[in-house]
Amino acid sequence: MDARGLGHAQRLAHLAMAGRLSRRELLRRGAALGLSAPALMTLVAACGGGEDGQPTPAAGNAGATPGSGSGTPASGAGTSGSGSSGGPKKGGRAVIALIQEPGQMSEFFNSQSGSFLSVLVVEPLFIPDANGEYQPVLAAAVPTIENGGISADSLTITYKLKEGITWSDGEPFTAADIVFTFEVYQNPESTPLLPAAYDKIESVRAIDPLTVEVKMKEINPGYLDLWQTVLPKHKFDSTAVTQEHPLARLPLGTGPFVFKEWKTGDQIILERNPNYRDPEKPYLDGITIKVSPEKEATIAAFIAREYDYVYFIVTGDLPALTQAEQEGKPVHVELFDGGASVEWLWLNLSDGGDPTKPHPVLGDPAIREAMDYGIDRQAIIDEILGGFGSLTGSFIYAGWAALDRPATPYDPDKANEILDAAGWQRGADDIREKNGVRASLRFQTIAGDQTRELYQQLIQQNMKDIGIELRIENVPSNTIFGSWQEGGLLARGNYDIVMSRDGYEVDPADWAAIFTADSIPSEANPGGFTYSHWRNAEFDAAIEEAGATLDQEARKRAYARAAEIFARERPALPLYQSAAADAWSTRLKGQRTDYFNPRGTLYSAADWYIEE
Amino acid sequence: MSHYVIRRVLQAIPMLIGISVIVFVLLQMTPGGPLAVVENPGGSGRVTQEQLERLRARYGLDDPLYVRYLRWAGDLVRGDWGTSFNTGQPVLTMIWERVPTTLLVTGLAFLVALALAFPIGIVSAARQYSLFDYLATSAAFLGIAVPSFWLALMFLYVFTFTLDWLPAVGLSDPRQQHDGLAAVVDRAQHLIMPVSVLALVSTASLTRYVRAAMLDVLGQDYMRTARAKGLAEQAVITVHALKNAAIPIVTILALEIPDLFIGSVIVESIFAISGMGRLFVESADLRDYPVLMGILLIASFLVILFNLIADILYSRLDPRIRYR
Repeated sequence: MDARGLGHAQRLAHLAMAGRLSRRELLRRGAALGLSAPALMTLVAACGGGEDGQPTPAAGNAGATPGSGSGTPASGAGTSGSGSSGGPKKGGRAVIALIQEPGQMSEFFNSQSGSFLSVLVVEPLFIPDANGEYQPVLAAAVPTIENGGISADSLTITYKLKEGITWSDGEPFTAADIVFTFEVYQNPESTPLLPAAYDKIESVRAIDPLTVEVKMKEINPGYLDLWQTVLPKHKFDSTAVTQEHPLARLPLGTGPFVFKEWKTGDQIILERNPNYRDPEKPYLDGITIKVSPEKEATIAAFIAREYDYVYFIVTGDLPALTQAEQEGKPVHVELFDGGASVEWLWLNLSDGGDPTKPHPVLGDPAIREAMDYGIDRQAIIDEILGGFGSLTGSFIYAGWAALDRPATPYDPDKANEILDAAGWQRGADDIREKNGVRASLRFQTIAGDQTRELYQQLIQQNMKDIGIELRIENVPSNTIFGSWQEGGLLARGNYDIVMSRDGYEVDPADWAAIFTADSIPSEANPGGFTYSHWRNAEFDAAIEEAGATLDQEARKRAYARAAEIFARERPALPLYQSAAADAWSTRLKGQRTDYFNPRGTLYSAADWYIEE
Repeated sequence: MSHYVIRRVLQAIPMLIGISVIVFVLLQMTPGGPLAVVENPGGSGRVTQEQLERLRARYGLDDPLYVRYLRWAGDLVRGDWGTSFNTGQPVLTMIWERVPTTLLVTGLAFLVALALAFPIGIVSAARQYSLFDYLATSAAFLGIAVPSFWLALMFLYVFTFTLDWLPAVGLSDPRQQHDGLAAVVDRAQHLIMPVSVLALVSTASLTRYVRAAMLDVLGQDYMRTARAKGLAEQAVITVHALKNAAIPIVTILALEIPDLFIGSVIVESIFAISGMGRLFVESADLRDYPVLMGILLIASFLVILFNLIADILYSRLDPRIRYR
């Protein structure tokens, strides 16, 4: 019924996916809050399992190939409107169930996952597609070095806006709105909740009504994440705007729908935008977002035709939904290739958090290599995750810089040879020893996630076969992810192996940064997040190089180098990539799913239509 | 009597102040805070430290506890219940929005429970150790033992999932707007399950109270007297027994009334009903202090008020009780 049985990290990861926050941040945030955090609380969801798909960018094309991704039993019907008779039908109202109601619908003022539903109304300048490539929406083109959108020093970005866009009240959408948006961000009286990418902006200037020039204080890889929400200047009389402003709660946008009314705790009514740029769209008359806080009951109502879409489905809901679909209930389940995080084994390379001293066991590269070969990853997917999930050996497995790299094969004989050669001899109890040190390690993850516990045992057995002892000691999430001040196990380096999901990012910058030496947590750097306590100058140099430019090719090359070093040094071992899925009622048609965000179908609401 | 009432009302004032202080301090001492939803302890990532500081300053979270309490109490005295940290709306507006919904559901459930519990409890007591009494007692214990969330999910499973008779959630059909009779029917269909769950659970315990109170009275000497003077058994039960048994029951019922306003967290959550129970639990999750303080203060006030009403009713119903 409630949060218990579910892995917290997993729920956080889902939250992150849906709300497009960075996973790392959410994991740590959630941990620091304990489970009381509302955003996490309601994500009831069942046990973990794999959500998943392929690692490679090619596989990221969920939408392009509607239907089943990794050989799933579920999807049969086409994704996009394969309407039997003629074109899409006009009219009707779709009902979306919202599990966790946010305080505001504007993502500018609210960072709860539910405010992502504002994309039905508020359009961003760019949206990342399934391959992690940003596609222009309100922008005319993606700024690049070639088209002059990015200056030679990568510090000035020029955004060109599409012509003829109007706000839903008919006023033109212009560069002045973007300048105003930044002024609101800057005003100390305002209380925005925006990504750190905004903090790197030096100034914003309108060159002409359709051109904006943004100067950055430092190179800002998040430049395409800016302007996800633009504020309509003509609707405000001051740049001091807070959560209490009516347009923070129900923002005005340029998208297919407009917010009409919000009855708190009950429902939010959206009507079609009469001034939408495509006069044919949206096909629907409106959308009702119905607040439905109880996950099980919501899924039951969804299967009973009361909702067309649930925000949002997690892997744990899949068994019930796929079963309902097979029984002929009016729901359609769509599984995506990719679209979710990889489960990692974080290895502590320091001796109790002191990075100058190597970990007595894991500090030996041979141990890490042997472990890599000794884990039967395919068995996790086949035997425990019911076939949902895929394998990758790539450190950067998602986003535009994704690299295709096969997973390390399961080869216990090779693992044994490596350990024998490295001088780890089997002791009396078959566990290896070297110089009096026993190859015995603590293996921890968040307590209470039954699915994870199952594959923890499988890995424990795998490791026993090669003479490494794993002691499973699962603990609450805040014990693991707590901050340095709170004595979190990861932050303090007080662990051997911890398992959690991470790394599903459009841009690898933030994700790669969690392995660089300069962010190792310490007394002087309590906010550090390099939990592996890994120091590798070569890797750091590659990451620094990738961060020194916005030239995609140059960055990609640098990340590829970093990924090779990562795969060789193994500060963390990938297990599998989860499967992502979404679901909607069979009467709702026209969805597109070719977005990086697994809930991206909401971006395509203009194309939705109802066919009973 | 009026002196008594005045004294009780005056006593209630320091009590409410005391409650508000305790509740305020307890709330602030609970781990986490209103910024928990947005907070990022590491300092890197989505929301920057500076943005958090702006928000903290706005909510006045950096001031000492007593300053915050005095500010809150001062505003309250002037009639300002504060603004929700979460929605930015006035607290009183948010509470008033929820009260009618909760009262509709809990009030109906209360009436149904009364209508069921009295006859069952009376017959059980009048025919103690009969088959009916055993059945009613077993059913009542079952009702007390079954958690309401389980019952609610079973109802959903049976009536929505399996039989497809009733809508699962909410209080109206979100797909169509009905008017007139259709709207009433639609609303009634949506009310059946939540009201039934709440009513069944409270009927169970109420039946026990009625039965116990009746048994107590039926054993009194005046019952024998009433029968001895030749009154029909029905008259003995309804006129003499029930009237006297009503005294403790009325007290219990009066004390239940504040609960009608507070609502049921579980049932409201499962059936997606936007009532007070949900407002409270959501505000608690979000550490939305102004809303929590508002709800808790109103709840405390109602408890005190209905205690007083119960005491007054007591003296009215039972001439042996006199307050000075």
